[in-house]
Amino acid sequence: MANPLPRTDAAPDAALIAAWRDGDEQAAAELVGRHARPLARFLAGAGAPDADVDDLVQETFIRAFRSVDRFRGQCQFRTWLLTIGSNVLKDFGRRASRRKVLPLDEAVRDVTGDPHEHAEARETEALLAAGLQRLPRLQREVFLLRAQQGLEYEEIAAALATTPGAARVHYHHAVRRLKEIVK
Amino acid sequence: MNDEKLENLAKRLGSGAAARLDVDATARKVVERLREHPVRRLVWVQQTWLRIAAALVIVLGGAVAVRQSLIQPGSAHTAHFVADDLNDLSADQLRDVLARFDELISGDSVAVPEGSTDLHELDAQQLRAVLRALEG
Repeated sequence: MANPLPRTDAAPDAALIAAWRDGDEQAAAELVGRHARPLARFLAGAGAPDADVDDLVQETFIRAFRSVDRFRGQCQFRTWLLTIGSNVLKDFGRRASRRKVLPLDEAVRDVTGDPHEHAEARETEALLAAGLQRLPRLQREVFLLRAQQGLEYEEIAAALATTPGAARVHYHHAVRRLKEIVK
Repeated sequence: MNDEKLENLAKRLGSGAAARLDVDATARKVVERLREHPVRRLVWVQQTWLRIAAALVIVLGGAVAVRQSLIQPGSAHTAHFVADDLNDLSADQLRDVLARFDELISGDSVAVPEGSTDLHELDAQQLRAVLRALEG
């Protein structure tokens, strides 16, 4: 195994990826630490059951690290990771097609503040989550990458092998349909 | 619902699941799984190089075979004389061979030993020398 890379918060993902390619396990752990939560949010937003989010996050990282030679820096590592996560979730959905995939487990929540507002917010989120499941996959991914992850259209287009213009159109279609669902 | 409210709602989506994720434990599990089933990149590289080497051997071998087949059979044996294959022939038989040459080529080009005017005066050794001279 290669010597572990001296790590700082400023070490770019590219350096950690290069270190992992040389066999540095600590670099892999560092990348997991950086991107696991955004990935979990993305997977949960895309319909992953709460109980399976941890497994799906792990599986996504395993796939990413095993195919890291295919990552050419065409987009950010996190964006690439999210697209792999989307594929992992799709495969999970196929395997679990006989059981219902719940979009969100709302059992454990922050309960500070007005209970009525929380209940309303939970209801709206549940509607949004359900609405997302009714969108075509590409629209759902573009919406989450844009609205939830805050990515630019250029970055989304690079990750999904489309054009920024097409990504923008997918996003607006998704917003229009979600607005109709979450009135 | 306006766009801003929808985006704010989207930002919160999945935040509970993310907050509950034990990132350190996840990282440990990922590393353990990677260790249990290591990436076979080295094997892949070795296999690739083996394939390239095999392809090169086939291409080079084929090229050599084609080249050999194009070379004229006699050109590799420039020092071989037909006369050497005639050792078993008698002087009369050798004269017959040379007589055939006489019919094919002019008398000027035949390297008849000095002082001789007729092939019949030559012995077997001299006749072989003439044949070698004719072969060039």
